[in-house]
Amino acid sequence: MEKNTKSTEQKVGLAHLRGEQDDAAKREERLEERRDSLTARLRTGDRSAAAELVDMHYEQIYVYMRRLGHDRQVSEDLTQETFLQAWRHIGQLRDGKALNGWLYRIAGNVSRLYWRKRQGKEPTSVERVDVPESRGAEHDRVSRNEELARLKDAVARLPWKFRQAIVLHYMGHLTIAQAAEAAGVRQGTFKSRLNRALNILREQVV
Amino acid sequence: MEEKLKESLNELAERTAGQARPGLAEDIKHRIPHKLVRHRGGLDTINIIIDLRVNKLTAAAVIIIAMILLAHFFSSRDTPGDSIFQDSKMLVQYILGTRVGGSDLLAVRSRYESLVEKGEQAVYYGDKADLKDGSAVLVQWRLADGQYKIISGDLQEKTVSAEELIKLQAEMLKKKIK
Repeated sequence: MEKNTKSTEQKVGLAHLRGEQDDAAKREERLEERRDSLTARLRTGDRSAAAELVDMHYEQIYVYMRRLGHDRQVSEDLTQETFLQAWRHIGQLRDGKALNGWLYRIAGNVSRLYWRKRQGKEPTSVERVDVPESRGAEHDRVSRNEELARLKDAVARLPWKFRQAIVLHYMGHLTIAQAAEAAGVRQGTFKSRLNRALNILREQVV
Repeated sequence: MEEKLKESLNELAERTAGQARPGLAEDIKHRIPHKLVRHRGGLDTINIIIDLRVNKLTAAAVIIIAMILLAHFFSSRDTPGDSIFQDSKMLVQYILGTRVGGSDLLAVRSRYESLVEKGEQAVYYGDKADLKDGSAVLVQWRLADGQYKIISGDLQEKTVSAEELIKLQAEMLKKKIK
């Protein structure tokens, strides 16, 4: 009797999991269709599509800039610049699948150009990283804050390409394939950059 | 150790991102050009220069000479010139790296913004050009007949041909190099 109950629970659990996977697949399919249609409209010069592109992606680009080490004001300016560049280079956009990577590549170039113009100046990393108090005792909180601040500094001091790799994959949660496309390099190259970046971080943080 | 590092990066990602200012999307949308034009040339000269890590002044000189030769070669304003101009204006923006002040600059900037609002594809060099140089191009935009309107350093609006505009830009670069 107990075995039967367990087996039924497992079946229900599996069915639920399959249902969730189907839903996720459908959501992804709908998103892809939306991107395809958006890309097609952008390529014909539709201004409402440009506005839709902003709504869909401005936060993602802003966060990307923040994680690359720019302060709030600069991140806003560079987000705007990214979209201006995107509109100027709409002819380079191939299809809906490429939309995300294309936008990240433009954002990456905008950020890199910014750093290059400020050659020699370190990324600003003055904002504190605060861990909420509810996480534990005051001592733990202070120590965790220090750890994260050290890590943030180490990420900010990485050479640009390595920093970009860390931000796209570990902080932006893109898959290797997506992140490599966003960086505009082959997957092998991207993996090698990631490894080197992790090695540097490990040395500096430890 | 590696897992801990990845976990920390994950936590750092959550803590450092923050949220974008609510009005940011609207600010960006206000800057959508009235006419979205495809970049026909396909060659992004600026990115090529950057990727090749060529000295920017050397690269600029080569490109300006090439543009002048091309303009002579096609001897018409409505040729592949569009993409060449897209690149040349970005190039000038990129190369002229100094910031100057000036009370008249606000007026020029406001004129530029009103042009953009009207849907003109105006380009603003005011934050990079030398205001003391009367012939410096501060703002440029293309007219329907293929000519260009410019606001120069002496704050006059002038209509110039594509070739004249290239020469003015080349002059700006020359002065900058000196």
